[in-house]
Amino acid sequence: MRTFATDLYLLVAAYGLALPVSYAGLPVLGQGAFVAVGAFGTLLLAAHGTPLLVAVAVAVAVAAMAGYLAGFAGARLSGASLALATWGLAWLAYAVLVQFPAVSGGSQGLVHRTPAQLVSPSLGLVVTLQPWVHALFAGVVAVLLAAMLWRATSGPWGLDWSALRTGPALADSLGVPVQRRRRSLLSASAGLGALAGAGTAVLVGVVSPTDFSPLLSLQLFVAVLVGGTASWWGPPVGVGLLAALPSASDGISSALNVDPLRARAVLTAALLVAALTLRRPVGEVVRRLLARLPARPMDEPPTVSAPDRSSRRVSSPLLRMSGVQVSYDAVRALDGVDVDLSSGEVHALVGPNGSGKSTALRVLAGVVAPDAGVVEIATHPAPRPGAAAPRVRAGVVRTLQRTATLGALPTGVQVAVGARAQENIAFLGVRHLLATPVSRAAAVARRQATAGALDLVGLGDRASVEVARLDSSEQRLLQIARAIATGAPAVLLDEPAAGMSRRQRDNLVRVLRRLAAAGHGVLLVEHDMGLVGRAADRVTVLAEGRVLATGRPSDVRQDPAVRRVYFGDPDLGSRPTAEEQTTT
Amino acid sequence: MSGGVLLQAVVSGLSVGAVYGLVGLGFTLVWSLTRVLALAHGDIVVGSVLVAVLVIVGRTPVALSPGVAHSIGLVLLALVAGVLLSLAAYAVAVRPFLDRGQRSEDVLGWVAGGVTTGLVVRTGLGLALPAAAYAVPDPLHLDAFTASGSVRLPGGGSVAVRSFGVLAVALVVAAAADWFVRSSHAGRAMRAVADDVDAAALCGVPVGRVVLIAFGLAGLLAAVAGLLDVPGRSVAVDSGVVLGLAGAAAALLGRLGSPRGAVVGGLALGVGQQLVGAWPHLGASWAPIVPLAALVVVLAVRPGGLRAGRQVAAE
Repeated sequence: MRTFATDLYLLVAAYGLALPVSYAGLPVLGQGAFVAVGAFGTLLLAAHGTPLLVAVAVAVAVAAMAGYLAGFAGARLSGASLALATWGLAWLAYAVLVQFPAVSGGSQGLVHRTPAQLVSPSLGLVVTLQPWVHALFAGVVAVLLAAMLWRATSGPWGLDWSALRTGPALADSLGVPVQRRRRSLLSASAGLGALAGAGTAVLVGVVSPTDFSPLLSLQLFVAVLVGGTASWWGPPVGVGLLAALPSASDGISSALNVDPLRARAVLTAALLVAALTLRRPVGEVVRRLLARLPARPMDEPPTVSAPDRSSRRVSSPLLRMSGVQVSYDAVRALDGVDVDLSSGEVHALVGPNGSGKSTALRVLAGVVAPDAGVVEIATHPAPRPGAAAPRVRAGVVRTLQRTATLGALPTGVQVAVGARAQENIAFLGVRHLLATPVSRAAAVARRQATAGALDLVGLGDRASVEVARLDSSEQRLLQIARAIATGAPAVLLDEPAAGMSRRQRDNLVRVLRRLAAAGHGVLLVEHDMGLVGRAADRVTVLAEGRVLATGRPSDVRQDPAVRRVYFGDPDLGSRPTAEEQTTT
Repeated sequence: MSGGVLLQAVVSGLSVGAVYGLVGLGFTLVWSLTRVLALAHGDIVVGSVLVAVLVIVGRTPVALSPGVAHSIGLVLLALVAGVLLSLAAYAVAVRPFLDRGQRSEDVLGWVAGGVTTGLVVRTGLGLALPAAAYAVPDPLHLDAFTASGSVRLPGGGSVAVRSFGVLAVALVVAAAADWFVRSSHAGRAMRAVADDVDAAALCGVPVGRVVLIAFGLAGLLAAVAGLLDVPGRSVAVDSGVVLGLAGAAAALLGRLGSPRGAVVGGLALGVGQQLVGAWPHLGASWAPIVPLAALVVVLAVRPGGLRAGRQVAAE
């Protein structure tokens, strides 16, 4: 029973680790450090007279805080550095335990009376923590976690997590609070690890540094990796394998006459190798099996009819920049540029390579901070450049380059990730777990927004199709659909027509006009003057970082300065199209 | 802290740090060419020496001064083992997780691959060398210059004479590696790949072969670092990980991707570590904490070292 309870605690730690690793795709190699914080923290505090439950709570809170801070360090960076930071943390914790006997109790370890008792004088209650009590507690926690993860996958958290996992940069551009999500996942993961550590320590009654060597971190990492991506059943399978390790390694060590700890390390290495080589094939098999099952609610093609967006709204200012200057080292990319965008219009930025049009788009999108000048969103000062979420909420969204996509998620799900930006409901993730009316209403609204966005770009019948099956022009339209699903009225597109055929361009023109008719303001950078002439209400010509002319396409076409400086050729409509030209 | 103790800490710190710098050099090289963190690099450092020791001295090594033939054999075998281990790590744990442009695509994959490789090296050696720690012979004979093996410093301190040898050899090898990367044909190809892998490929640089050369060079540097570091102390099969993480900290301190930065970062880290160890109120038990804490802190407060990787991810 004692071993069983220990394994169940290990399962709790593995479920904790599954949050960042298998759901958010973050490489975390330091779960053992957080387990150690829980174990040593609890017994240290208890040894100094802290009531047991308080000691556990404090240790878990400290670990969760440490995980949150690790998230601050790691979340700003690529996954690579998070792996390094957490691997460093695992060894740092171990080094501290080995070097400072005051913390770890030295080679004897820290001890606590077993079975521990919870005593409440005010209630006159004494609970003796027999191993079966531990097993019950850990089992209940593990089952709750499994149920929560299973349920969360189909809800707002699941959408955000899958976006974090498959395309963090794109998720950020769609207004998903990437950093915050990562931090909370890491924090929850660390807290659960510490809870497992505390429980094990109280159950066993003695902890020593060797129980928390970095090998534990690796073992937990393997346990999570075995199950593959976002699977609630992965951790039990992995922990089941880990649970078989001690008996297997004891057998090997007695047969081969080697140290049991070494044998355990060898088996862990073998498991890691197996998990690594089998990860892709197993994932592929599971994916095929899942594809045969009826679609989960989230994957259903939206059947709700799109809201009527055809009524033309009064034109209102959406986005404006004035007097903007940007320099890259010695090169002045923008030198006092004014651009504005109103609802219901398509506004094209054109200019030769190096004229600064892409930089202008980046300033408006909040990717590049201007050296001078102001950017306003709907007449309010724009948020400072950084995470895109505040901008998306304020009403500006941009598309990334053509190939950006949220992995292999179905089209409808990718658009639904964008639609999440419209949801401003506190604790929506928790509400979804409990299936409250508010969360159901939000799900319906999300489906409507998704369907509306897909219909608007003409992909209404492609919602449940895998992105890999879309052709390149459809993927471009998907980019636009994801962006407008966020509900941001100002949409910034960087060369939406690149690589499109003539027929696909005609379709794009219709889509752009539909967007304007639905009340969006579209600002695009585009080389194809024919497309600009047909789609745009207004054209701004940039040259050498200044505005050369702005106005209706037909007027700008006649502008002598534009003809002389930029085009030098009698007819704009016959300019070569984008294929031959590279972006600035 | 008296002047003598201070000087002693600085000198021994430079020696320790020079090894960190060599390890960091290989780490930084691998990062700039593949955007992969060499998580098994430290295990290759210690592993290459232990493999040579196993082959030449056997399973129960003692720190006696080896003869000429044994010395040469140990050095050559360690260098070969370092290169082979590094290439094997690339083939098994890195290559499968890169996309066609030789850049990291599957982060979870290569992270798992890296820690797996390290664990396999450690446990494999652990089966042959089961004791808690070993003292191994020094094929470079770095402490044979004075009879006592130590040098008195002005101010009353003393350092092992091998510290100077370690520092000298490490700096010469680091300078040679820097020259190789800067001036040789293969080195220029390496920098081209590091700068823009697609452009380099378009210009006809054989990216795959260049990456192989870089991993071989990293393995060579790892073996040299091992030959300098391992004979000077008692070493366990697990010692490599911490050494590798210290090298990572050195590379990060000197901005990831910069070879000279890695060496400078290593020297700074080594001196800092020895100063902390010599500090009266802290003491020797704090010294092993320093490189690991430095790594975590640098990653937390100065992610600038990884900025290049971020841009790749964002655009």
